[in-house]
Amino acid sequence: MASTSTSETTHPVVFTTQTPYPLPSQKFMIPASWKRYQLSQLVNKALSLPKPIPFEFLVRGEILRGTLAEWCAEKGVGEEETLEIEYFESVMPPQRMSLLPHEDWVSSISCQLPGYFLTASYDGALRIFDYSQKLVQTIPAHAAPATSICVVPSSSAPLTTTPDSFLLASASHDLTARLTRVDLSSPEQPRAETLASLHLHTAPISSVAATSTHILTSSWDGFIGLWDTAIPENDEVPLDETVGEGQGRKKRRKVAGGEDGESAARPKRKAPAAVLKSHTARVSRVIFGRGADAKNAYSCGMDSTVRTWDVENGVCTSTITAANKPFLDLALTQSGNSALAASTDRTVCQYDLRVASSSATTPSVASLLHPATPSSVTVPPPVSSPSTAAEHQLVTGAYDGVVRLWDLRSTKGAVASFKAWDARESSGRKVLSVDWARGLVGVAGEGGVEVWKLGEGDR
Amino acid sequence: MAAAEAKKLSKKRKAAPEEETSAAPPPSAFPQEVRLEMASEDEGEDGDASSDDGEVDEFPEIDARSDTEDEEEEGEDDESEEEDEEDEDEDEDESDASDESLHVWPKPKTVVSDITGQPKRVYPDIEPDYDSDSSTEDTPNRVGNIPMHWYDDLPHVGYDINGKKVLRPARGDELDKFLKTVEDPESWTSAFDKNMQMDKPLTAEELDIIRRLQENENPDANYDPYEPTVEWFTGKGKEEIMPLSAAPEPKRRWVPSKWEKQKVMKIVRAIRQGRIVPNKPKTASAQPQFYAIWNEEPSTGPAPPPAPKPRLPGHAESYNPPEEYLPTPEERAQWEATDPEDREREFLPQKYSALRLVPAYDNFIKERFNRQLDLYLAPRVQRTKLRIDPDSLIPKLPSPSSLRPFPVYKSLQVPHADVRVRAISVSPDGAWAVSGDESGVVRLWEVIVGKEVKRWTFKSKIGAVEWCPRTDVSFFAVGVEDHIHFIIPPNLPGPVLTATQNILAPANLPPPPANPSPVKWSSVPAAQSSSDTPILTLNLPSSPEPPKQLVWHRKGDYLASVSEGQGGVWIHQVSRRHSQAPFKKVKGTVQLVLFHPTKPHFFVATQRYVRMYNLAEQTLLKTLTPGIRWISSMDVHPSGDHLIVGG
Repeated sequence: MASTSTSETTHPVVFTTQTPYPLPSQKFMIPASWKRYQLSQLVNKALSLPKPIPFEFLVRGEILRGTLAEWCAEKGVGEEETLEIEYFESVMPPQRMSLLPHEDWVSSISCQLPGYFLTASYDGALRIFDYSQKLVQTIPAHAAPATSICVVPSSSAPLTTTPDSFLLASASHDLTARLTRVDLSSPEQPRAETLASLHLHTAPISSVAATSTHILTSSWDGFIGLWDTAIPENDEVPLDETVGEGQGRKKRRKVAGGEDGESAARPKRKAPAAVLKSHTARVSRVIFGRGADAKNAYSCGMDSTVRTWDVENGVCTSTITAANKPFLDLALTQSGNSALAASTDRTVCQYDLRVASSSATTPSVASLLHPATPSSVTVPPPVSSPSTAAEHQLVTGAYDGVVRLWDLRSTKGAVASFKAWDARESSGRKVLSVDWARGLVGVAGEGGVEVWKLGEGDR
Repeated sequence: MAAAEAKKLSKKRKAAPEEETSAAPPPSAFPQEVRLEMASEDEGEDGDASSDDGEVDEFPEIDARSDTEDEEEEGEDDESEEEDEEDEDEDEDESDASDESLHVWPKPKTVVSDITGQPKRVYPDIEPDYDSDSSTEDTPNRVGNIPMHWYDDLPHVGYDINGKKVLRPARGDELDKFLKTVEDPESWTSAFDKNMQMDKPLTAEELDIIRRLQENENPDANYDPYEPTVEWFTGKGKEEIMPLSAAPEPKRRWVPSKWEKQKVMKIVRAIRQGRIVPNKPKTASAQPQFYAIWNEEPSTGPAPPPAPKPRLPGHAESYNPPEEYLPTPEERAQWEATDPEDREREFLPQKYSALRLVPAYDNFIKERFNRQLDLYLAPRVQRTKLRIDPDSLIPKLPSPSSLRPFPVYKSLQVPHADVRVRAISVSPDGAWAVSGDESGVVRLWEVIVGKEVKRWTFKSKIGAVEWCPRTDVSFFAVGVEDHIHFIIPPNLPGPVLTATQNILAPANLPPPPANPSPVKWSSVPAAQSSSDTPILTLNLPSSPEPPKQLVWHRKGDYLASVSEGQGGVWIHQVSRRHSQAPFKKVKGTVQLVLFHPTKPHFFVATQRYVRMYNLAEQTLLKTLTPGIRWISSMDVHPSGDHLIVGG
């Protein structure tokens, strides 16, 4: 070691960490030619860990990718300067868990319900799979392609355990969103009943989001509908006003599953509590804020804006305007301070929501370049123990069929990526939706649904 | 003629017959001179001889005036004169001959030379006595060698050495003359000599000259026109053994030159056409050919500025410069790389240890040649150096971001195996696209995802699909075979669906047009309609190919369709459910048609031309010739002012 240190240039380094594996806070002289692997071995040997844990190293907020000397040369840091290097456990390479086959494209997947995967498909059906890849229930909720699905959390029980009965909200091209009550109390005979259809939009609904009290729907007509979760007793919207008779009758027949003429079986037609109008073009995604921020909603649209809404008052409180970036998907980071928006110009941009936007265009904090159009973006759900790594992580799915894991501290390239469905074609098969919960990433798209194990998970 | 002249001469001589005795030999003795004198007199008296004597006094000739004295006597008897003269001449002939032998040019003798054997002329030796020089002879008339006509009007003929007048010798009257001609047979061959003032007989030589002139012979008696040829270069013994050229005589030596004929004919033609004026006045002659340059006044302007003094040579010009002036190899390479015009110095310093080692100036000839060109005022290529920053010439390009949006990336690709998709149309709101392929399948796509939402299958290939541009209704037209189908896409909101159905399948049909068209409109009632089958179908006249183009007017009421063949252009009005063919006959095959967005104008593109019609007035407005061999695409700007045509 001594001989190498004399021949090689060394760099003074101080290691810090927030993991339960701290090194003594003293100055180390690290050879400049070392990479992540050597540093990780150093930490492992210094702590004499029983089981080797790979670490990632952050030099001044950037993940170290090459040698230390390369980083110093790039940043123009002198040899004498002491570098503070933070390390954290690196993400395990993703592993494919299971494949949930579908006949048609899957437009949306939700992993929020423990033990189950919920999918919405282009054939208009909602499907429920359990973790053993078994199709639990197929709900023909829509006559037209379903675009989005989410679970309406019940106010009594949080979504840590799966209740026997829960409410699903789904959106579709048939201009309605629907609320479906699923009862899984008897596994042999699960029951599903569509209780209400939400009538507001005059164009296909692109997304639906729900809290325990409210539901938001976004549509191509530029409106965002705000609904409460209560199931109405009677039709709030007259039938003839919205749907032509022929088509309406047919749709009802399909939904009701042949139970003709029974008013009880027919979903109640529900009117919105409020309509949020501010977008000038198609709204592609609407989401609620996290936790205490649930009174705020965020939406993105083809008019290149990300808007913040005050749900109670139904007004747009702030707008982030980007230049020529029609947005396709939106996610909030764990801290809830910034929004991640996927755009058709093949970037996923991070915007700081706290910045008061008065200027014409808001610059993005970070921009992640993709080789193909990113169609969906998701972040890991908040975990009780604060993890620095999860706070900066996100997963994007793109039209080239590749799902990428990013770390916002290293915007140059993805941390990890995998190709869904083992795409044989070079062009890949489009990923339309990704969802990440409990260490599982659900990938939905052209080839059906795949579940990959990613992140810390339930270790 | 010569005889007549001789008579005239003799007539003059009668004026001074007394001087004949003292007549000296003629002053100019050799025959040429004599002849010349006579010629000069001939001219004066030519008219005389042919006409009568009355006109004599009109001649301004000196001789004529000298005769005036004689006329007084001569006028009386003309007829006797001639005989007189004859006599006188005969007398004088003898004396002349004697004179000649004495004084005139010594006669050469022809002897055979001893040396050459050739005949040669030998002149007699001149005896240096008094007689040998004629100038020393006494002249009987001592008035001197003066022009005798000075004294023509005076009674005397001159002055002697003592200043006394020498009186004109008395001459015999006409009777004497006559008698003389009778008595003296020589008289007619004598002539009056003014110097001698007497009649002088002509010598035999002179008479011979007269005779020769009269007979149009050479006056020189010694001239032999038939001298034997002296062959200096040819002849026997002088033949050229080696010919200069063995080439046969070229044809051009005896064939008339065509080139010359052409040249001449060119000139002749030019003269005929008036291009060449044969006797053109020389305009250039107005200008003096030469100038007396030294006659001009010296210029009073300021003197021209003196030439700049050449720079004194420095160390670098030295044949043995210090080391620091010598160029480094890099400087030398750079100097050689630059153009001669751009070089800072036109030479490179070179070092020689001694002046005798300096070679000749290598650019000497080149510089001298250029100097010659300068003197000759020869124009040479002069490269004007541009002192412009080359970057300023590049037009300023707009930043690409300001030109956005433009396609930069292929986002989606939907491959269709084994079938060609030749028709596609995007809905007015941009959310949907409909495509038609050659197997008869019409697909509805969700644009942003690239997912096929719905499909319709027809019997044969799809010629065209076109979405109606109206936003309050939503449907599209499909051209298949002889039909145009109108299809409503699925998942429409209720009001839009109702409005669309009301347009395409109204409950109460509009009244049929006055002149029914061959196009049949058949629709399914709105109640039974669905998005699976066409709600409205147009049956066009049969055509082997499906309509290759459908185009909507911007307002969405009119639809134009283009099929193959004559009369393939139809304009359909959806609200009135009526079709009409706007053109009875169109020149060429119609490729494309287009509605003007604001005016009732209609563009029809054939293979090479775009014609613009006014549909309201049914007139042809314009014919545009874009110069494209085959027009394949055309669009009009939404403002309606510009048309773009591609081929």
